[in-house]
Amino acid sequence: MTMINFQKAYTNLLSEDRGILLVLIGAVFIFELLGWIMQGQTFIFNSQRLFIIILQMAIIGIMAIGVTQIIIMAGIDLSGGSIIAIAGLVAASLAQTSDNFRAVYPTLTDLPVIVPVLAGIAVATLLGWFNGAVIAFTKIPAFIATLAMLVIARGLARGYTSGKQVSFFVEDFGVFGSGATPIWIFLSLALIFHILLTTTVYGRHNYAIGSNEQGARMAGINVKRHKMLVYSMAGFLYGIAAIIQTSRAETAQSGTGLMWELDAIAAVVIGGTSLMGGVGRITGTIIGVLILGIITSGFIFLRIDVFYIAIVKGIILVVAVVVDQYRHKNSHNR
Amino acid sequence: MTLNRNLSSDMNILLVLFGIAALFEILGWLLMGQSFLFNTKRLTIIFLQVSIIGIIAVGVTQVIITSGIDLSSGSVVAMSAMVAASFAQASGGFMMYFGGISDLPVIIPIFIGIAVGCAAGWFNGAITAYTGIPPFIPTLGMLVAARGIAVLYNDGSPIIGLTENFKFIGSGIMPVIIFISVAFIFHILLTRTVYGRRTYAIGSNEEAARVSGINIKSHKVLVYTLAGGLAGLAGVVMCARATLAQSGMGQMYELDAIAAAVIGGTSLFGGRGRITGTVIGVIILGVIMSGFTFLRVDFYYQEIAKGLIILSAVIVDQYRHNRSVSGAS
Repeated sequence: MTMINFQKAYTNLLSEDRGILLVLIGAVFIFELLGWIMQGQTFIFNSQRLFIIILQMAIIGIMAIGVTQIIIMAGIDLSGGSIIAIAGLVAASLAQTSDNFRAVYPTLTDLPVIVPVLAGIAVATLLGWFNGAVIAFTKIPAFIATLAMLVIARGLARGYTSGKQVSFFVEDFGVFGSGATPIWIFLSLALIFHILLTTTVYGRHNYAIGSNEQGARMAGINVKRHKMLVYSMAGFLYGIAAIIQTSRAETAQSGTGLMWELDAIAAVVIGGTSLMGGVGRITGTIIGVLILGIITSGFIFLRIDVFYIAIVKGIILVVAVVVDQYRHKNSHNR
Repeated sequence: MTLNRNLSSDMNILLVLFGIAALFEILGWLLMGQSFLFNTKRLTIIFLQVSIIGIIAVGVTQVIITSGIDLSSGSVVAMSAMVAASFAQASGGFMMYFGGISDLPVIIPIFIGIAVGCAAGWFNGAITAYTGIPPFIPTLGMLVAARGIAVLYNDGSPIIGLTENFKFIGSGIMPVIIFISVAFIFHILLTRTVYGRRTYAIGSNEEAARVSGINIKSHKVLVYTLAGGLAGLAGVVMCARATLAQSGMGQMYELDAIAAAVIGGTSLFGGRGRITGTVIGVIILGVIMSGFTFLRVDFYYQEIAKGLIILSAVIVDQYRHNRSVSGAS
């Protein structure tokens, strides 16, 4: 049984992701061409650049794994960036060394590294759960509930240390962001959630709620509980992203993660997950994350102003959703 | 009958306003030993601060009545302010945006600011109406794009040295007068004209509105364009008051505007809402924020409170909607 499902997952990967893979290859090709014309050097055959692209996208990628599952369920989450900020600060405040004179908690220094990690992930999971509970029980639109969380979590992050940075961590805490570790964590999480979504009851419930919530309820799925689970799961992933980000930057501040939720949503939608719900794959999201990373890094490579990247990202998001809308209409007309 | 019902729903929000004001008055005497409300300086500041949000909220109310949403207002404020200010510089400044253009008649920057806002709004409306994607997506894209343009416009530097005539728009109680006029005009438009009837019709039942011959697409584009234009006007007033334009202006103002509209009784499900309610909603928001500052509550907690206020207002709206749906069936 499991074997067959794996096979199905593999065939899906090949057939459905082919379109986006072509987009990825096309984007790489264009930047390679522009690189030779404008900069006189290669864009892609530079192992250092490739490594940085993937490293930078690992954190957005971990967020995007959570966002993919929410969007498959026909939900949305705009609060990821703000949750990363507060979770990162909480983790950082518990990861400080004792030779720091201005520690946030002077009595809680030199703790074993598991404490800050669990604390950061717990805070993020709790906020995710709150999103899910509000959406499931009050039935208000998900984008409003998570927009409120965007403001609330950012306020919590600013209030937690009154806007001050938190740094000087114990040595062990540096592990999560060093070298290629973020990439390995990203890929492992992607694999785990790919399997969860394609082969387990959790995944089937997720797709069922996204395609037809009423039908899923009739079929006996506890929709409220599942929604809370998925939003908590996304919070959990934001927590992991926050740990990696804090460990890599060797500091935590309240402004971290500003607008990252948009990057994550863009990656998910580029990767073929439909905002109408019921359709989407983790494999597509990985390719979507890579496309976004290639474009961002390509713009920097061509020395185009960062603010143009913001404008282009806004346009990419809208175009991806419009394409999704047309696909959705076509599939209905068939 | 309709008039009575409108009056009674605004009555409820007015009572909330009075209740909150009374609460802060009591807390003021208990905690700070002074009056909160009977302080003309504080009252003036409250009204001045809410005017800018109020102008935006008038546009956002109409968008929400069509069961749409606009998340781009804050960024459009900044973009319009930057462009308008660049046409409002006085000669002799040392940081001129356009070397040869200075001391233009004040109507030109005002007009350009509003036009920039309208263009952004038109874009929002056109994408929403013609592609049918959920409106929070294109307006979220516009939130990012318009902020990017605002920063790029002058490489992140502010634009200063505005003409005296231009600064006059933001001086004294001019912002309040502009806000009240805008609110009055759109109140009349929504309650007395075909424009208003169509706006409500689309929001209550889009399919029925289409069948009854309303051109849904062009009307939606019109409503979003007007909302963009009002955000542009807010940008003009704001930079005139600050006597400079900055790319960081108006951050998160869209949330305040949406909160004001929803507190004021406009339903996110569409078809229901009044400008009068929004005006009271804006004042409630202003009183709460000013009350927090008055009680020396940390700025960070004000943000958290704002998020909780939005959440509560939307949950109350949802509850009202559920009740009216089950009441009708």
